[in-house]
Amino acid sequence: MRIAAFLPLLAGITLMAQTIDRTKPPETPPIPAFKMPPVHESKLPNGLSVFLVEDARFPLVSVRLSFQAGSKFDPKDMPGLAGMVASLLTQGTKTRSFRDLAEELTSIGASLDGHASPDVFTLSGSVLSENTAKLLELLADVALNANFPEDEVSLRKQNRKQALLAQRSQPAFLANEKYDALVFGGHPYSYIAPTMESLDRMDQKSMIQFRDTYLVPNNAVLLLVGQLPPRAETLKLVRDHFASWKEKPVPAAPAKNFPESKRQLVLVDRPGSVQADIHIGRLAATRTDPDYYPLLVGNAILGGGANSRLFLDVREAKSFAYDAHSELDRRKDAGVVTAVTQVRNEVVEPAMEAVLGNLSQMAQAPVTAEELSDIKNYISGSFLISLETQASLTDQIDLVKTMGLPDDYLEMFTTRVRSVEPDQIQAAARKYLAPEKDSIVVLGDAAQIEKSLEKFGPVQVEKAK
Amino acid sequence: MKFALIDSDHSSAIPQAAQPVIPIEKYTLNNGMRVILSRDNAVPVVAIYMIYDVGARAEEKGRTGFAHLFEHMMFEGSANVPKGMHFKTVESNGGTLNGSTHPDYTDYFEVLPSNKLAVGLWLESDRMRSLSITKENLDNQKEAVKQERRLSFDNRPYQTAIVDRWPELAFQNWQNSHSLIGSFEDLNASSVEDVAKFFKTYYAPDNAALVIVGDIQIPQAKKLIEDYFGDIPPQPKPAKPDLSEPATPTPRSDVYHDPHARVPAVLIGFPGPVRRSPDYYALAMLDILFTGGPSSRFQLNLVKGKESLIQYQAEMGWPFCSSTDYKNPGDYAMFLLFKPSFTPQQIVDQAQEEIEKIQKDGVDAKELERARTLLRSERITALQSSLHRAELLGKYEILDGVPELINTDLEKFLAVTPAEIQAVAKKYLTPERRTVLQILPAPPPKENH
Repeated sequence: MRIAAFLPLLAGITLMAQTIDRTKPPETPPIPAFKMPPVHESKLPNGLSVFLVEDARFPLVSVRLSFQAGSKFDPKDMPGLAGMVASLLTQGTKTRSFRDLAEELTSIGASLDGHASPDVFTLSGSVLSENTAKLLELLADVALNANFPEDEVSLRKQNRKQALLAQRSQPAFLANEKYDALVFGGHPYSYIAPTMESLDRMDQKSMIQFRDTYLVPNNAVLLLVGQLPPRAETLKLVRDHFASWKEKPVPAAPAKNFPESKRQLVLVDRPGSVQADIHIGRLAATRTDPDYYPLLVGNAILGGGANSRLFLDVREAKSFAYDAHSELDRRKDAGVVTAVTQVRNEVVEPAMEAVLGNLSQMAQAPVTAEELSDIKNYISGSFLISLETQASLTDQIDLVKTMGLPDDYLEMFTTRVRSVEPDQIQAAARKYLAPEKDSIVVLGDAAQIEKSLEKFGPVQVEKAK
Repeated sequence: MKFALIDSDHSSAIPQAAQPVIPIEKYTLNNGMRVILSRDNAVPVVAIYMIYDVGARAEEKGRTGFAHLFEHMMFEGSANVPKGMHFKTVESNGGTLNGSTHPDYTDYFEVLPSNKLAVGLWLESDRMRSLSITKENLDNQKEAVKQERRLSFDNRPYQTAIVDRWPELAFQNWQNSHSLIGSFEDLNASSVEDVAKFFKTYYAPDNAALVIVGDIQIPQAKKLIEDYFGDIPPQPKPAKPDLSEPATPTPRSDVYHDPHARVPAVLIGFPGPVRRSPDYYALAMLDILFTGGPSSRFQLNLVKGKESLIQYQAEMGWPFCSSTDYKNPGDYAMFLLFKPSFTPQQIVDQAQEEIEKIQKDGVDAKELERARTLLRSERITALQSSLHRAELLGKYEILDGVPELINTDLEKFLAVTPAEIQAVAKKYLTPERRTVLQILPAPPPKENH
């Protein structure tokens, strides 16, 4: 009934609507630049670097306390120690049990978690802004006074072992594990998880030793972003909680020894897999390398997003896969570029050819002007969008401060992306994307797919652990 | 962004400013399409969210997975947007996009730099007006969906049990119990005619809501929306499927042997209350007491304490919904990953024991106050994202017809009392109403060499 009643109106609207041209996308202005909020920087006498950023949009505060103490600093016989220390810091201090900490955090609307990436060890927190002072008190207690209670250490070890078993049922985990081992060789970047044996070796003593060695103020950055108290008050809170922390010399990071890239092909056998996980790639430029921006842009043309060459070819044109992309792993001391896809068993051979072909093509011919302009917009726009929330803004500023990036990194990111030229991309592609020296890891059912791989080089078959 | 404070006039337990107020302007185009605008000029980003009032529970027998297959077809081009150009246009304008299929609705979004609003509206309106429905596109997307199924379900632990077996156990009406991702057989059987009919029936402007949140100017946005969507013709209101379940639930259980799983798990579920009824709010708060944050009962008593659980998840409407898009008939369900030194029955008993403690002893006021603060903090944190705000507004519109709930619904959760929580534990979470699915590691298939 309602519909019939307004049909005459629709005719009028149709006439009006004809003034727009539907046949092509509307003209719109260029993507706006990201405006970096001011960062206030100071340093405590014990060496703790402090950064404050006002973000008044929501009544929230985000906190990061980051150390140069990621998993690359694990003792040789204890891979995964940094990660275990990170997860255990919040499980008890000299004056607070796990339950006390958990209840106090929840009652102020806060979260506080430890995490170790390959390079950086981070305590991340957020809180309703009215409770910022209390979160800083808890953060300092955890960072300075964690006591790694025996029962919590033992429980965490048991649960990590079970989680490790669960991870070992995930194809992506098994493929990544082998891939990183090949690419990084003997460097501590080469493992992605603890082992059953390393977990057995860890105890309260090794955790305290790691903490006392690396979690010291002169090795740390404290970042606060949000609706902060007035600056003088915030800085006083920081001094009150962190000034008594003693500075200490810190051992050097492990040497940047990485193996020469060379072609190697490993098939990780997982009987019963209904598809094959393919990873192809090699060491590449870091964020501070002159090749970085050309590689970033080239990698995105190759396999970033739904308009990339790999997606259009392997997924859309050939229907081999749901996902086909390439990724840039950007660690402090090394980058890695990797093409990734998961394909059904019957098409492993043509899918490998397609991925390798796309990698070679990047090195053989310059990208087109249209591809380049599209991808620059894509990278600039996604960058802007990715900085929308306080947590993501905080993580990006933390990244700049912990990975040794220039202060103007975020503000200049888009300009640097926009300045990349096709010949620079091709040069970077010859260096990093041409697949002749790539490591290849395929995870799948060897009985089904081993033959399909033989034309790509000698296949080394290993059982999934 | 400017914040007014919510005037809370009925409960001292509710903080004066429970959350920032999201501005809302709602109106309806002449063709029946609902529009919700929310302006926020803090960052130069805009989220465009299109939600259609149809989901997998509307599928017909022999066509499991069809709503999801159709969602894929929405990216295959339309009269003025050639195949492949949807993705390309969004990305080359600096945006991100996606679509997803849910039991009760299907949604699509573009997040763009805010001065690209017109581009997103052009794309969304063109496919609503004139989707390209061809055999070639359909065949191609059937393959994509099968690959998605292999990648996300068949090759991963727990997923097939959750997506295929759990609904069969938790529900008795086929509309609710069939697989949402669908069988390969049904996907193969879908025809171009099916797609065309589904499009005409459900993808009409009067069966959809468009939400725009972010850095917009309201008059300019309204003009663009009228220009792009105003003359798309409405369709007769589609019939709603009968989703009713038997009034008296019976206990059901099964064991699923999962060749990919290395660690055992149990799923436990109970048929839940009516969406946004007093019981719904009380059960959602009880869920926070059980599983929300580091001081939850499951964390303190089962991960610690009994040291039996490794991981847990629980939600109103789990696994496909959360409390925000829970719709009847729905359940309250949990996924518990546990140490193999325990039996599945011990885990079920331990979970039930936690429920019994609430049934017997009720809830401590301080514990409930913590749960309220946690909920408030999580809601505010989530509201930061313009896309999340748009999704909430769209879901409240499609499920309740009241987008303003984005500003007021939190108060209902915060007002729940200990007595109400104890009452829902007794009424809903009893062994007589319980569904249990054990997922046990199966021996790996025989090796061939």
